[in-house]
Amino acid sequence: MKVIEIKDLYKSYHDTEVEVKAVNGINLIFEEGEFSAIVGPSGSGKTTLLNVIGGLDAPSSGSVIIDGTDISTLSSRQMIDFRLHNIGFVFQAYNLIPVLTAKENAEFIMQLQKKSRAERDARIAELFAAIGIQGKENIRPNRLSGGQQQRVAVARALASKPKFILADEPTANLDSKSTANLLDIMRKLNEDENITFIFSTHDQRVIDRAKRVILLDDGKVTKDTKTK
Amino acid sequence: MKQNDHTIFKISWRNIWRNRLRSSIIILAVTIGIFGGLVSTGIMKGMVMGLINNSLENQTSHIQIHNKQFVENNEVGFLMNKTDKLLSKISKEPAVKSVCERTKTFGMASTASKSAGIMVNGIDPVREKTVTGIWKKIVKGGGTYFESNKRNRIVISEKLAKKLKARIKSKIVITFQDYDGNLTGASFKVEGIYRTQNSMFDKQNVFVRKTDLDKLLNMPSHSAHEIAIVLKNYKQTGAEVERIKRLTPDYLVQGWPEIDPYLQVSASMVDFMLYIFMLIILIALGFAIVNTMLMVILERTKELGMIMAIGMNKFKVFKMIFYETTLLGIIGALVGIVISAAFTLYFGRYGIDISIVGKGFEAMGYGTVMKPYLELTDYFQVLIMVIITGLIASVFPTIRALKMKPVEAIRD
Ligand SMILES: Nc1ncnc2c1ncn2[C@@H]1O[C@H](COP(=O)(O)OP(=O)(O)OP(=O)(O)O)[C@@H](O)[C@H]1O
Ligand SMILES: [Mg+2]
Repeated sequence: MKVIEIKDLYKSYHDTEVEVKAVNGINLIFEEGEFSAIVGPSGSGKTTLLNVIGGLDAPSSGSVIIDGTDISTLSSRQMIDFRLHNIGFVFQAYNLIPVLTAKENAEFIMQLQKKSRAERDARIAELFAAIGIQGKENIRPNRLSGGQQQRVAVARALASKPKFILADEPTANLDSKSTANLLDIMRKLNEDENITFIFSTHDQRVIDRAKRVILLDDGKVTKDTKTK
Repeated sequence: MKQNDHTIFKISWRNIWRNRLRSSIIILAVTIGIFGGLVSTGIMKGMVMGLINNSLENQTSHIQIHNKQFVENNEVGFLMNKTDKLLSKISKEPAVKSVCERTKTFGMASTASKSAGIMVNGIDPVREKTVTGIWKKIVKGGGTYFESNKRNRIVISEKLAKKLKARIKSKIVITFQDYDGNLTGASFKVEGIYRTQNSMFDKQNVFVRKTDLDKLLNMPSHSAHEIAIVLKNYKQTGAEVERIKRLTPDYLVQGWPEIDPYLQVSASMVDFMLYIFMLIILIALGFAIVNTMLMVILERTKELGMIMAIGMNKFKVFKMIFYETTLLGIIGALVGIVISAAFTLYFGRYGIDISIVGKGFEAMGYGTVMKPYLELTDYFQVLIMVIITGLIASVFPTIRALKMKPVEAIRD
């Protein structure tokens, strides 16, 4: 089943004298249950592409259709709501709200969605077991390691079972052990819950774990391989 | 609170304590501001309430009745008739606590050495005691208040006694025009010397028995110039004036705000002052809070960008900032209110002696012991004003926060 369809997508920046074509004519389809890495050198447009897919940035032209909805037709207000209910985000850093505990952070989206306490508690317990954070539920982010913080962020993104998860270089700030650990968890959740993951990375070890690798260069897809 | 809101509130509350020093400074500023505003208003209000109570208790009472012409021109002839019947009718009014009648005339009081223009109040001491508190104002060693049944006794103020060089048992000659326009006079023996807090009143008013004065003035029987009424609750003044007007349509019935408009104006002035004081203080505090919150927003750019990116809508962002802003104000306000209430209750009971600086106040009818006074509604009004300030002060930081684009906020 198609989750995301990207058609003739362009995104250019005019901040400076020269026009930067960060996304320069991309057509892609993401199916349900994918575990895809978007790979490319710095400045190739990975972040820009993910931001446009996630509705955080508007394309210059072309369209992003998520589960049948062309997101360019949504007002900014509708877009926020759409993101809340359909897309999970994991950023490179600053993922967690510092004044909330690990558990409170993980259930934050579910709370915004007005899910019941019982439902939240059950889901978070399940996810915390999966990400290996038990016992640290009531600790604030500044007392968690970088890897643990990213795992909580993944738990938060996953908690409400969104249509897909966008993760922009989720392992960029992690050491290799934490990176491997986070990837294991993401991959496991992808398989157990059939949740679609799209993430960008520089890291060869991360690329090796992907089921599909999309290579970007200068805002264009130069290679798209399904590995498994 | 919905659970949704509960989370936002929790974030706001905890955010306050992220920078304890900065928040504490703002809270302290609010506390001091609220304390200053409330206490200075309380002091003014206490002074004015004291003035009003003194006036009501010793001078105006709650309601007065006169012959219309007497009010314009205090001539002996402008009197009210059949006052005995009127008094008994008024006494039967359920809202009325007590009532008395007076004969009044201008006169000249003289001793061997000095003389002074005065208002002679002819009273029935028994009834008068139930209406005014002058009998409680007899100074130490200043004799008694019509305890002797002898004829032609007079109670004068300490002020007048000094002026006339009179003492207890001194003779004072009072001259005035009688009912028929003839100049007449009599000698009175000083029985008591009183002092109220209003030296203007004291300078003018002397008290004699109505029976004595009526005889001298040649007044018709059952007549008087003034009827004074005290109600069980002063707040019923307006309604009771209307009822008594129906009892006696020919005479002028006035409530205390009409008799002494200055009292009424003072009372509403003080309430107005509270608003003005608080407004000025809160505007100043509002700027400080806005400034703090703008700093806060700037510091939390990435965090706010992330929160908006993952799906928190603008209204919730506003609520989050509003709660934080308003909580800063409310915490400070509550502390300020508690301290102000403690101050007001303590000194409202025991008073602050201002006699050193209070000479001028006394002449205006204020007491020399200051008793701050605040009502529950004053505290509530302040709290509501603080919340409104919080609401207004959150607008600018919210606008700033919402202007941020999540993408830009998140990018390193
Ligand atoms: N807000 C912006 N204004 C102007 N130019 C931008 C903006 N964001 C990105 N760009 C430019 O667009 C191009 C693509 O940037 P993008 O951040 O998408 O690349 P990236 O593949 O994520 O790089 P990296 O691996 O360094 O994160 C770059 O040339 C960048 O300079
Ligand atoms: Mg990037």
